Amino acid sequence: NVEKTDEEEKEDRAAQSLLNKLIRNNLVDNTNQVEVLQRDPNSPLYSVKSFEELRLKPQLLQGVYAMGFNRPSKIQENALPMMLAEPPQNLIAQSQSGTGKTAAFVLAMLSQVEPLNRYPQCLCLSPTYELALQTGKVIEQMGKFYPELKLAYAVRGNKLERGQKISEQIVIGTPGTVLDWCSKLKFIDPKKIKVFVLDEADVMIATQGHQDQSIRIQRMLPKDCQMLLFSATFEDSVWRFAQKVVPDPNIIKLKREEETLDTIKQYYVMCNNRDEKFQALCNLYGAITIAQAMIFCHTRKTAGWLAAELSKEGHQVALLSGEMMVEQRAAVIERFREGKEKVLVTTNVCARGIDVEQVSVVINFDLPVDKDGNPDNETYLHRIGRTGRFGKRGLAVNMVDSKHSMNILNRIQEHFNKKIDRLDTDDLDEIEKIAN
Amino acid sequence: QREGLHVKAGDSTMQWYQQLQDAANQCILAFDGLTNSKDHQSKKIKMDLQKAATIPVSQISTIAGSQLKEIFDKINNLLLGKAVHCGGRAVSVTNHQQGLDFVHYKLAEKFVKQGEEEVASHHEAAFPIAVVASGIWELHPRVGDLILAHLHKKCPYSVPFYPAFKEGMALEEYQKLLGYQVKDSKVEQQDNFLKRMSGMIRLYAAIIQLRWPYGNRQGAHPHGLNHGWRWLAQILNMEPLSDVTATLLFDFLEVCGNALMKQYQVQFWKMMLLIKEEYFPRIEAITSSGQMGSFIRLKQFLEKCLQHREIPIPKGSLPSSFWRS
Amino acid sequence: PSASLLASGGNNASEHLFTPKNELTAEELKQFMAKKFTLGKVPLKPPPEGLLSV
Ligand SMILES: Nc1ncnc2c1ncn2[C@@H]1O[C@H](COP(=O)(O)OP(=O)(O)O)[C@@H](O)[C@H]1O
Repeated sequence: NVEKTDEEEKEDRAAQSLLNKLIRNNLVDNTNQVEVLQRDPNSPLYSVKSFEELRLKPQLLQGVYAMGFNRPSKIQENALPMMLAEPPQNLIAQSQSGTGKTAAFVLAMLSQVEPLNRYPQCLCLSPTYELALQTGKVIEQMGKFYPELKLAYAVRGNKLERGQKISEQIVIGTPGTVLDWCSKLKFIDPKKIKVFVLDEADVMIATQGHQDQSIRIQRMLPKDCQMLLFSATFEDSVWRFAQKVVPDPNIIKLKREEETLDTIKQYYVMCNNRDEKFQALCNLYGAITIAQAMIFCHTRKTAGWLAAELSKEGHQVALLSGEMMVEQRAAVIERFREGKEKVLVTTNVCARGIDVEQVSVVINFDLPVDKDGNPDNETYLHRIGRTGRFGKRGLAVNMVDSKHSMNILNRIQEHFNKKIDRLDTDDLDEIEKIAN
Repeated sequence: QREGLHVKAGDSTMQWYQQLQDAANQCILAFDGLTNSKDHQSKKIKMDLQKAATIPVSQISTIAGSQLKEIFDKINNLLLGKAVHCGGRAVSVTNHQQGLDFVHYKLAEKFVKQGEEEVASHHEAAFPIAVVASGIWELHPRVGDLILAHLHKKCPYSVPFYPAFKEGMALEEYQKLLGYQVKDSKVEQQDNFLKRMSGMIRLYAAIIQLRWPYGNRQGAHPHGLNHGWRWLAQILNMEPLSDVTATLLFDFLEVCGNALMKQYQVQFWKMMLLIKEEYFPRIEAITSSGQMGSFIRLKQFLEKCLQHREIPIPKGSLPSSFWRS
Repeated sequence: PSASLLASGGNNASEHLFTPKNELTAEELKQFMAKKFTLGKVPLKPPPEGLLSV
């Protein structure tokens, strides 16, 4: 009785990227190796294991540590030495969201800026106003030990009088407005820009007009200006655009983390019906220590029923489904991150970007199936990937309620070539063993 | 007393630690009939009691005071022997004569585990969990002793003491003594270990400063701020451990510094000065370049507090309006 | 030992936030009176109430 999934949701790149930014405040660890293609292959390849090795200005090193960082992330280990080299080098970097790209290029901008000079010296292009705000927060946080440092947002709606000159040292904005500020309105003197960053290139080219506006801006910049471009993916279209924007670049690629399943312990529970699945869920809560949990259902009907049952048992439950607006979804997720609600019951694939560190367990109340009732392995991967983040061991429990769903689970096991053990949730001691 | 820093914690501290561990072991013996029983009926009772004792703790959230009150009452009623609704059944400690000992132990363990799992990745969760734990502690002192016993076992730095390596000890055994999780002789990542220790220390630093607002409040806090003073003094009298001491000092001062400042005023500022002028160089001397993060964060925090002569109220502490929500 | 004794830190000073002066050793009193603590000699007992704003 495979109920048809009632959310078909067009993947809107900018919205997804915004959601990722709004709800991420921690590093996604990625076990893949970084591929580095150096512009000058025979110059030594540097990589740093600590922030000290970068010889940052003291206020900048303090800014980095004040953000709670201890050591460079995988992509930062290679990207930072290149970006901070003397003379600074151009870079094209590709890696998935949450691996530390933004923090890296903000560090590069802050290390080149001379706060005492009251004019724009760094320029950062972002696809949308909301994404620009997110990056702006990182600049303010990391630069907080530079009292004279000011940041300006070149976005529509930010009206300045004619003939005015901008004194902020860093400008971040969308291509259209930045182009006007540099050309028509002359608020910025492009010849004085030392660092030019183009962030989220894959989202940028998906937005009408941004591509050629970005290239026209780039052409106005001085020859010795450092050019940096970042993208989560590297389709050909992105690559062609990147080469136009960043001449003679170093290239860094961190293959997409195929959420290797080995850091996540997976089990299944045999039940006959919905109520037995709920009973198994309660027993899980009684046996292992759960900070917060994400539970995936197939339909909104099941999700609504489950949320009500959990609330009756005293749990604080949040409900999330595809038809909600991005801002609504971000608000629900933010409350979940703040720990106001501790159980997130959700129905659809939008969980792809949710990285809330307190998620101790992911529960597939219904197994993920596609429109034709076959196992949806991609969704299974993304769902259980919500746990086991930040170097923690994750836990995923699949609820099986029929021969059919058992078959689905077997096919998922075959696809990932990963044994999923059965768990008897009536035996307390057995469940406790799986916790640590 | 000898000059300079000691390598070990004071005798009174270690005696207290041992007494608590003994009390916990006695408690385990007291309910071993229930733990080891094979008959179906007792196993059913054990699961129900464990669910009734631990699920409410996992439900503690930052949403509203009224929600915390419901959870507190549920736990308190269970401890008072009343029947409590859990998973569609009425459950009571009187269902088994070892029921109360079992619930005392499991409840105390759960508070500490919730600190280890939840506060580690969400620092602000320390306060709602701590205020419920403090309230239960006040009405049921034995649960308090067991909370301390579990806390000390999983996080020796909460006593505080630094477990020493004994001749002939296996490395894995020593790592476990230090609080590391070791699975198939693979020790957990340092960042993960530090986060769990931070979670438990922050929970402890929150408990000692919080009183359950609905209590009758005549007696003193069962385990109050004098233990904040004792913890800090004992840490500052010992040689620091690289990365661990700086991390936990920062956690403790960020959570409990404001309350200690108000309580002990000048004497507390003498401690802060001692940290900056004398203890700090000792930490710096043993901190290698890969471990500077915790050291720099502590340094920034100290300099800001001494400069403003003020320790900020910790983020996530429960305002009085929370109790009207 | 009674339950609450254990939680109170085992030094059977009942749960006081401050230590009465007569319960302090000479060394402890000296430390609390001094302008600065000596490294390694910070008293584990909380200070006496009278010396909080000296
Ligand atoms: N070296 C680091 N150590 C710890 N956390 C980091 C580090 N670099 C970035 N972060 C955190 O990880 C999260 C993702 O980083 P971000 O730079 O936004 O990645 P991306 O731009 O690739 O999505 C942010 O919350 C950021 O604060």
